[in-house]
Amino acid sequence: MKGKDLINIGIFSAIYFVIVFIIAMLGMIPIFLPLLSVLVPIFGGIPFMLFLTKVKKFGMIWIMSIIMGILMLLTGMSWPPLAVSVFSGLIAELVYKSGKYKSAAKAVITNGVFSLWVAANYLPLFFAAEKYWASRQNYGQDYIDAVTKLMPTWMCPVTFIAAFVCGIIGGLLGRKLMKKHFEKAGIA
Amino acid sequence: MAALFTADIENRGLVLDPRTKLFVMITLVIFALGGTGSDISAVRYGTIAVSILPVLLLMTARQYKKATVFGILYALIKSAEIFLVPNITGAELSIIGLCCLIFVRLMPGLIMGAYMLSSTTVSEFIAAMHRMHIPQQITIPMSVMFRFFPTVLEEFTAINTAMKMRDIRIGGKNAGKLVEYRLVPLMVCSVNIGSELSAAALTRGLGTKVRRTNICKIGFHIQDIAVLLLILTLYIFWILGMFGVMK
Repeated sequence: MKGKDLINIGIFSAIYFVIVFIIAMLGMIPIFLPLLSVLVPIFGGIPFMLFLTKVKKFGMIWIMSIIMGILMLLTGMSWPPLAVSVFSGLIAELVYKSGKYKSAAKAVITNGVFSLWVAANYLPLFFAAEKYWASRQNYGQDYIDAVTKLMPTWMCPVTFIAAFVCGIIGGLLGRKLMKKHFEKAGIA
Repeated sequence: MAALFTADIENRGLVLDPRTKLFVMITLVIFALGGTGSDISAVRYGTIAVSILPVLLLMTARQYKKATVFGILYALIKSAEIFLVPNITGAELSIIGLCCLIFVRLMPGLIMGAYMLSSTTVSEFIAAMHRMHIPQQITIPMSVMFRFFPTVLEEFTAINTAMKMRDIRIGGKNAGKLVEYRLVPLMVCSVNIGSELSAAALTRGLGTKVRRTNICKIGFHIQDIAVLLLILTLYIFWILGMFGVMK
């Protein structure tokens, strides 16, 4: 990997994160919070597909994934996104590598795998729940039941699956836009 | 919005070492978000104290408006959690309860993140990463990224205005093209600016094999020690609580 590749990673991470940031602003409205793992993979897929056309060497997707995890840590979303992004990034890298860094179908799947880190943002809310309840027994069983009903544990795998499926939709959308605009303009 | 990601070097008040900020962030993640040690009352009060710390830090960085807004918001949600939640039932309980559950835990970290991004310069950040022996493969993309954020946001604002003029907005005539007509121009101009930026970065020695020097002086000062002592107290409470010395 040369300096130019690393700079490319930085540029596309910036575009990707700005999109994540704008969508996350919506997440401030609680109803939209579970929708983040739907919206981010779809819209993030557009710059990510363009990024994949610049990927020619091993490690570029992986590094971008790790950077997303670090950014989540820096912006206060806890460590699970970083832990997941280190692995999902590597898998995404291997998937795209198996297509010799140019297969279009593999690129779409890569976006699906890459998007898994978005769902990891919810992990602390599921994981630490028990500890949280232990300290709030005085709130009564009503409160505990009401909140667990809205955030049941089975939601946890569902958010991951949603992120993966929406990542594939986002990848297809990205391919479509790329054919329509970027290839003509000569930047893809 | 660009001020969200870049530090104003001229007027930023008290300067903390980036590593201190990172440590505060990790502590907030462990105690406020992770809820560690919340069965020990000393830790619980300590966590509240540490959760207010980011607001105070924003004050020291002379970002009074941001600090006030975040401070009031946090105080409102925290008091709602303490006083309102035990006294209500039914549908309100699930909605208000869930909001409290999520925001009380997320907000301290988010405020700290806002402080961190808006008070650290790119040079300081890179110097700190270098001292922590983070490899170049991570630091170069991150420094480019932080340098690039304001540019992307500026371009996005301009594109957004242009598209609003063409009635491509939520509730406008061409709402269906909302996303495509914003993201595509944004990416085309970002890629072009990016290739200029990478030429500029190469002339500054990024990506060469030699060791880069940095004129930025970072180090631990009295204010860092004060913040670190406060945080360490919380850890001590936690350890003492685990051995049953404190409750």
